[in-house]
Amino acid sequence: MKKLIIIPAYNESENIEKTVQAIEKEAPDFEYVIINDCSQDETKRICEKNHYNVVNLPINLGIGGAVQTGYRYGYEEGYDLAVQVDGDGQHDPGFLKSMAEYLTEQNLDMVIGSRFIRKEGFQSSGVRRIGIKYFTVLIQMLTGQKITDPTSGLRMINRDVMKIFAYDYPKDYPEPESVVAILRRKKKVAELPVIMKAREGGVSSISPKKSVYYMIKVTLAILIEWIRK
Amino acid sequence: MNLRIQVIVAVIIILALIVILNMIRKKALELKYALAWLAVGVSVLILDVFPGVMRWLADFMGIEVPANMLFFFGFCFSLVLIFILTVMISRMSVRLKELAQELALYEKRESDKKK
Repeated sequence: MKKLIIIPAYNESENIEKTVQAIEKEAPDFEYVIINDCSQDETKRICEKNHYNVVNLPINLGIGGAVQTGYRYGYEEGYDLAVQVDGDGQHDPGFLKSMAEYLTEQNLDMVIGSRFIRKEGFQSSGVRRIGIKYFTVLIQMLTGQKITDPTSGLRMINRDVMKIFAYDYPKDYPEPESVVAILRRKKKVAELPVIMKAREGGVSSISPKKSVYYMIKVTLAILIEWIRK
Repeated sequence: MNLRIQVIVAVIIILALIVILNMIRKKALELKYALAWLAVGVSVLILDVFPGVMRWLADFMGIEVPANMLFFFGFCFSLVLIFILTVMISRMSVRLKELAQELALYEKRESDKKK
Protein backbone atom coordinates (compact mmCIF):
# COMPACT_ATOMS: atom_id res chain seq x y z
CA MET A 1 0.00 0.00 0.00
CA LYS A 2 1.47 3.33 -1.11
CA LYS A 3 0.91 6.09 1.42
CA LEU A 4 1.66 9.74 0.72
CA ILE A 5 2.13 12.68 3.06
CA ILE A 6 1.46 16.06 1.45
CA ILE A 7 3.28 18.96 3.08
CA PRO A 8 2.06 22.34 1.79
CA ALA A 9 4.83 24.84 2.49
CA TYR A 10 4.77 28.59 2.08
CA ASN A 11 7.73 30.39 3.69
CA GLU A 12 8.41 27.50 6.06
CA SER A 13 12.21 27.63 6.04
CA GLU A 14 12.25 27.60 9.87
CA ASN A 15 10.10 24.48 10.19
CA ILE A 16 10.46 22.38 7.07
CA GLU A 17 13.54 20.42 8.18
CA LYS A 18 11.98 19.60 11.55
CA THR A 19 8.76 18.52 9.84
CA VAL A 20 10.53 16.15 7.45
CA GLN A 21 12.75 14.74 10.23
CA ALA A 22 9.67 14.06 12.36
CA ILE A 23 8.02 12.28 9.43
CA GLU A 24 11.07 10.14 8.69
CA LYS A 25 11.29 9.16 12.34
CA GLU A 26 7.63 8.67 13.27
CA ALA A 27 5.97 7.67 10.01
CA PRO A 28 8.63 5.65 8.18
CA ASP A 29 6.21 3.66 6.03
CA PHE A 30 4.89 6.84 4.44
CA GLU A 31 6.40 8.67 1.49
CA TYR A 32 6.13 12.44 1.44
CA VAL A 33 6.02 15.29 -1.04
CA ILE A 34 6.56 18.95 -0.18
CA ILE A 35 4.51 21.38 -2.23
CA ASN A 36 6.52 24.59 -2.18
CA ASP A 37 3.91 27.26 -2.92
CA CYS A 38 6.38 29.69 -4.49
CA SER A 39 7.90 30.64 -1.13
CA GLN A 40 9.76 33.95 -0.92
CA ASP A 41 12.22 32.67 1.66
CA GLU A 42 14.82 29.89 1.69
CA THR A 43 12.30 27.00 1.57
CA LYS A 44 13.22 25.95 -1.96
CA ARG A 45 16.97 26.08 -1.31
CA ILE A 46 16.65 24.08 1.92
CA CYS A 47 14.58 21.40 0.15
CA GLU A 48 17.11 21.08 -2.65
CA LYS A 49 20.10 21.05 -0.31
CA ASN A 50 18.57 18.13 1.63
CA HIS A 51 17.35 16.37 -1.54
CA TYR A 52 13.77 16.42 -0.28
CA ASN A 53 11.01 15.23 -2.58
CA VAL A 54 9.61 18.62 -3.57
CA VAL A 55 7.26 20.07 -6.18
CA ASN A 56 7.90 23.76 -6.79
CA LEU A 57 4.90 25.81 -7.90
CA PRO A 58 5.86 28.61 -10.31
CA ILE A 59 3.31 31.03 -8.79
CA ASN A 60 1.73 31.29 -5.35
CA LEU A 61 -1.60 29.44 -5.41
CA GLY A 62 -2.58 29.59 -1.74
CA ILE A 63 -3.22 26.65 0.56
CA GLY A 64 -6.05 25.10 -1.49
CA GLY A 65 -4.17 25.17 -4.78
CA ALA A 66 -1.02 23.83 -3.11
CA VAL A 67 -2.74 20.91 -1.39
CA GLN A 68 -4.61 20.14 -4.60
CA THR A 69 -1.26 19.91 -6.39
CA GLY A 70 -0.31 17.28 -3.81
CA TYR A 71 -3.52 15.33 -4.45
CA ARG A 72 -2.88 15.43 -8.19
CA TYR A 73 0.66 14.22 -7.60
CA GLY A 74 -0.63 11.42 -5.37
CA TYR A 75 -3.29 10.40 -7.85
CA GLU A 76 -0.95 10.44 -10.85
CA GLU A 77 1.78 8.54 -9.00
CA GLY A 78 -0.66 5.81 -7.98
CA TYR A 79 -0.85 6.32 -4.21
CA ASP A 80 -3.61 4.53 -2.28
CA LEU A 81 -4.01 7.13 0.42
CA ALA A 82 -2.88 10.67 1.04
CA VAL A 83 -2.71 12.81 4.15
CA GLN A 84 -2.05 16.48 4.59
CA VAL A 85 0.53 17.42 7.23
CA ASP A 86 1.12 21.14 7.61
CA GLY A 87 4.69 22.36 7.27
CA ASP A 88 4.51 24.53 10.38
CA GLY A 89 4.96 21.76 12.95
CA GLN A 90 1.35 21.74 14.23
CA HIS A 91 0.65 18.19 13.12
CA ASP A 92 2.36 15.29 14.87
CA PRO A 93 3.22 12.54 12.33
CA GLY A 94 3.00 10.01 15.16
CA PHE A 95 -0.78 9.85 14.65
CA LEU A 96 -0.56 8.90 10.97
CA LYS A 97 -0.13 5.18 11.52
CA SER A 98 -3.29 4.83 13.58
CA MET A 99 -5.19 7.08 11.16
CA ALA A 100 -4.16 4.88 8.22
CA GLU A 101 -5.16 1.72 10.10
CA TYR A 102 -8.51 3.24 11.02
CA LEU A 103 -9.13 4.29 7.40
CA THR A 104 -8.39 0.86 5.96
CA GLU A 105 -9.98 -1.25 8.71
CA GLN A 106 -13.23 0.72 8.79
CA ASN A 107 -13.20 1.09 4.99
CA LEU A 108 -13.53 4.88 5.28
CA ASP A 109 -13.06 7.54 2.63
CA MET A 110 -11.71 10.24 4.94
CA VAL A 111 -10.29 10.34 8.45
CA ILE A 112 -9.99 13.72 10.17
CA GLY A 113 -7.61 14.22 13.06
CA SER A 114 -9.70 16.10 15.62
CA ARG A 115 -8.43 18.22 18.52
CA PHE A 116 -11.82 18.35 20.17
CA ILE A 117 -12.73 14.73 20.89
CA ARG A 118 -10.41 14.27 23.87
CA LYS A 119 -9.74 18.00 24.19
CA GLU A 120 -6.01 17.49 24.67
CA GLY A 121 -3.11 19.58 23.41
CA PHE A 122 -3.39 22.94 21.67
CA GLN A 123 -7.06 23.89 21.55
CA SER A 124 -6.85 27.14 19.54
CA SER A 125 -8.09 30.45 21.00
CA GLY A 126 -11.57 30.88 22.48
CA VAL A 127 -12.88 32.98 19.61
CA ARG A 128 -11.64 30.47 17.06
CA ARG A 129 -13.21 27.60 18.95
CA ILE A 130 -16.58 29.36 18.73
CA GLY A 131 -16.09 29.73 14.97
CA ILE A 132 -15.19 26.05 14.63
CA LYS A 133 -18.20 25.03 16.75
CA TYR A 134 -20.41 27.10 14.46
CA PHE A 135 -19.19 25.14 11.42
CA THR A 136 -19.71 21.88 13.28
CA VAL A 137 -23.36 22.83 13.90
CA LEU A 138 -23.86 24.11 10.33
CA ILE A 139 -22.43 20.94 8.78
CA GLN A 140 -24.47 18.78 11.14
CA MET A 141 -27.67 20.61 10.16
CA LEU A 142 -26.97 20.15 6.45
CA THR A 143 -25.49 16.66 6.33
CA GLY A 144 -26.61 15.08 9.59
CA GLN A 145 -23.06 14.17 10.54
CA LYS A 146 -21.17 15.67 13.44
CA ILE A 147 -17.63 16.74 12.53
CA THR A 148 -16.06 18.08 15.72
CA ASP A 149 -13.04 19.61 13.96
CA PRO A 150 -14.10 20.65 10.45
CA THR A 151 -11.17 23.08 10.11
CA SER A 152 -8.51 20.48 10.88
CA GLY A 153 -5.84 20.33 8.21
CA LEU A 154 -4.73 16.87 9.34
CA ARG A 155 -6.92 14.79 7.04
CA MET A 156 -6.32 11.45 5.43
CA ILE A 157 -8.19 10.38 2.28
CA ASN A 158 -8.34 7.27 0.13
CA ARG A 159 -7.76 7.10 -3.63
CA ASP A 160 -11.43 7.71 -4.49
CA VAL A 161 -11.50 11.04 -2.72
CA MET A 162 -8.01 11.86 -4.01
CA LYS A 163 -9.39 11.61 -7.54
CA ILE A 164 -12.25 13.98 -6.69
CA PHE A 165 -9.99 16.51 -4.94
CA ALA A 166 -7.34 16.35 -7.67
CA TYR A 167 -9.75 18.01 -10.08
CA ASP A 168 -12.09 19.92 -7.76
CA TYR A 169 -10.78 21.55 -4.62
CA PRO A 170 -11.52 24.96 -3.06
CA LYS A 171 -8.91 27.65 -3.49
CA ASP A 172 -8.75 29.15 -0.01
CA TYR A 173 -9.86 27.86 3.41
CA PRO A 174 -10.73 24.52 1.82
CA GLU A 175 -11.25 22.25 4.86
CA PRO A 176 -14.90 22.71 5.97
CA GLU A 177 -16.18 23.13 2.42
CA SER A 178 -14.47 20.02 1.06
CA VAL A 179 -15.75 17.88 3.95
CA VAL A 180 -19.29 18.86 2.94
CA ALA A 181 -18.48 18.07 -0.70
CA ILE A 182 -17.38 14.57 0.33
CA LEU A 183 -20.31 13.95 2.68
CA ARG A 184 -22.74 15.04 -0.01
CA ARG A 185 -21.28 12.38 -2.30
CA LYS A 186 -22.18 9.81 0.38
CA LYS A 187 -18.54 9.17 1.28
CA LYS A 188 -17.73 7.81 4.72
CA VAL A 189 -15.99 10.31 6.97
CA ALA A 190 -14.87 9.68 10.55
CA GLU A 191 -12.71 11.43 13.12
CA LEU A 192 -9.91 10.23 15.33
CA PRO A 193 -8.65 12.13 18.39
CA VAL A 194 -5.24 13.76 17.93
CA ILE A 195 -3.08 16.20 19.85
CA MET A 196 -1.92 19.27 17.97
CA LYS A 197 0.82 21.67 18.93
CA ALA A 198 0.80 25.44 18.73
CA ARG A 199 2.63 26.45 15.57
CA GLU A 200 6.40 26.61 16.08
CA GLY A 201 7.04 29.48 13.70
CA GLY A 202 5.46 31.49 10.89
CA VAL A 203 1.98 33.00 11.14
CA SER A 204 -1.54 31.65 10.68
CA SER A 205 -3.15 32.34 7.33
CA ILE A 206 -6.25 33.60 9.14
CA SER A 207 -5.55 36.99 10.72
CA PRO A 208 -8.29 38.68 12.83
CA LYS A 209 -9.10 40.97 9.91
CA LYS A 210 -9.52 38.03 7.58
CA SER A 211 -11.65 36.04 10.02
CA VAL A 212 -14.83 37.94 9.09
CA TYR A 213 -14.19 37.18 5.43
CA TYR A 214 -13.39 33.60 6.43
CA MET A 215 -16.69 33.06 8.27
CA ILE A 216 -18.79 34.54 5.46
CA LYS A 217 -16.89 32.87 2.63
CA VAL A 218 -16.85 29.42 4.19
CA THR A 219 -20.52 29.61 5.23
CA LEU A 220 -21.54 30.55 1.68
CA ALA A 221 -19.24 27.93 0.21
CA ILE A 222 -20.79 25.24 2.42
CA LEU A 223 -24.32 26.29 1.49
CA ILE A 224 -23.48 26.43 -2.23
CA GLU A 225 -21.69 23.09 -2.02
CA TRP A 226 -24.80 21.65 -0.41
CA ILE A 227 -27.14 22.75 -3.24
CA ARG A 228 -24.75 21.68 -6.02
CA LYS A 229 -25.94 18.90 -8.26
CA MET B 1 -27.04 71.00 -27.78
CA ASN B 2 -24.93 73.55 -29.61
CA LEU B 3 -22.59 72.85 -32.45
CA ARG B 4 -19.42 73.50 -30.44
CA ILE B 5 -20.03 70.76 -27.87
CA GLN B 6 -21.09 68.41 -30.69
CA VAL B 7 -17.76 68.93 -32.43
CA ILE B 8 -15.76 68.54 -29.19
CA VAL B 9 -17.52 65.25 -28.35
CA ALA B 10 -17.06 63.98 -31.92
CA VAL B 11 -13.34 64.75 -31.81
CA ILE B 12 -12.92 62.98 -28.44
CA ILE B 13 -14.82 59.91 -29.65
CA ILE B 14 -12.88 59.70 -32.89
CA LEU B 15 -9.58 60.02 -31.01
CA ALA B 16 -10.68 57.27 -28.62
CA LEU B 17 -11.66 55.02 -31.54
CA ILE B 18 -8.28 55.63 -33.18
CA VAL B 19 -6.49 54.74 -29.92
CA ILE B 20 -8.53 51.53 -29.59
CA LEU B 21 -7.94 50.52 -33.21
CA ASN B 22 -4.25 51.26 -32.87
CA MET B 23 -4.04 49.11 -29.74
CA ILE B 24 -5.76 46.26 -31.57
CA ARG B 25 -3.27 46.68 -34.42
CA LYS B 26 -0.38 46.46 -31.93
CA LYS B 27 -2.02 43.42 -30.29
CA ALA B 28 -2.19 45.29 -26.98
CA LEU B 29 -5.94 44.72 -27.04
CA GLU B 30 -7.70 41.65 -28.37
CA LEU B 31 -10.32 42.45 -30.99
CA LYS B 32 -12.69 40.04 -29.25
CA TYR B 33 -12.67 42.12 -26.07
CA ALA B 34 -12.44 45.50 -27.80
CA LEU B 35 -15.65 45.00 -29.79
CA ALA B 36 -17.87 46.23 -26.95
CA TRP B 37 -15.83 49.42 -26.65
CA LEU B 38 -15.89 50.03 -30.40
CA ALA B 39 -19.68 49.58 -30.31
CA VAL B 40 -19.99 52.14 -27.51
CA GLY B 41 -17.81 54.62 -29.40
CA VAL B 42 -19.80 54.28 -32.59
CA SER B 43 -23.16 54.57 -30.77
CA VAL B 44 -22.13 57.73 -28.93
CA LEU B 45 -20.83 59.15 -32.19
CA ILE B 46 -24.22 58.51 -33.87
CA LEU B 47 -26.09 60.13 -30.98
CA ASP B 48 -23.70 63.11 -31.15
CA VAL B 49 -24.02 63.67 -34.90
CA PHE B 50 -27.79 63.09 -34.92
CA PRO B 51 -29.16 64.58 -31.67
CA GLY B 52 -32.67 63.91 -32.97
CA VAL B 53 -32.13 60.20 -32.48
CA MET B 54 -31.50 60.69 -28.78
CA ARG B 55 -34.54 62.95 -28.34
CA TRP B 56 -36.74 60.45 -30.18
CA LEU B 57 -35.42 57.52 -28.13
CA ALA B 58 -35.91 59.40 -24.84
CA ASP B 59 -39.43 60.34 -25.90
CA PHE B 60 -40.14 56.75 -26.86
CA MET B 61 -39.02 55.48 -23.47
CA GLY B 62 -40.88 58.18 -21.60
CA ILE B 63 -37.76 59.89 -20.27
CA GLU B 64 -38.16 63.67 -20.08
CA VAL B 65 -34.52 64.75 -20.13
CA PRO B 66 -32.51 62.97 -22.86
CA ALA B 67 -29.31 63.29 -20.77
CA ASN B 68 -30.87 61.08 -18.07
CA MET B 69 -31.30 58.36 -20.66
CA LEU B 70 -27.59 58.56 -21.44
CA PHE B 71 -26.72 58.23 -17.74
CA PHE B 72 -29.07 55.28 -17.41
CA PHE B 73 -27.67 53.45 -20.43
CA GLY B 74 -24.11 54.28 -19.47
CA PHE B 75 -24.67 52.88 -15.99
CA CYS B 76 -26.29 49.68 -17.28
CA PHE B 77 -23.53 49.16 -19.80
CA SER B 78 -20.81 49.65 -17.19
CA LEU B 79 -22.43 47.16 -14.80
CA VAL B 80 -22.77 44.50 -17.49
CA LEU B 81 -19.19 45.04 -18.62
CA ILE B 82 -17.82 44.82 -15.06
CA PHE B 83 -19.81 41.66 -14.46
CA ILE B 84 -18.50 40.05 -17.64
CA LEU B 85 -14.97 40.97 -16.57
CA THR B 86 -15.55 39.31 -13.18
CA VAL B 87 -16.70 36.14 -14.94
CA MET B 88 -13.61 36.25 -17.13
CA ILE B 89 -11.27 36.76 -14.16
CA SER B 90 -12.82 33.74 -12.44
CA ARG B 91 -12.30 31.59 -15.50
CA MET B 92 -8.76 32.81 -16.03
CA SER B 93 -7.78 32.24 -12.41
CA VAL B 94 -8.96 28.62 -12.64
CA ARG B 95 -7.00 28.15 -15.85
CA LEU B 96 -3.93 29.82 -14.37
CA LYS B 97 -4.10 27.53 -11.34
CA GLU B 98 -4.35 24.43 -13.51
CA LEU B 99 -1.52 25.62 -15.71
CA ALA B 100 0.73 26.27 -12.71
CA GLN B 101 -0.04 22.83 -11.23
CA GLU B 102 0.53 21.11 -14.56
CA LEU B 103 3.84 22.89 -15.02
CA ALA B 104 5.03 22.13 -11.47
CA LEU B 105 4.16 18.43 -11.80
CA TYR B 106 5.76 18.26 -15.27
CA GLU B 107 8.99 19.80 -14.00
CA LYS B 108 8.95 17.38 -11.08
CA ARG B 109 8.65 14.36 -13.41
CA GLU B 110 11.41 15.71 -15.66
CA SER B 111 13.83 16.28 -12.78
CA ASP B 112 13.03 12.80 -11.38
CA LYS B 113 13.89 11.26 -14.76
CA LYS B 114 17.36 12.79 -14.68
CA LYS B 115 18.20 11.15 -11.35
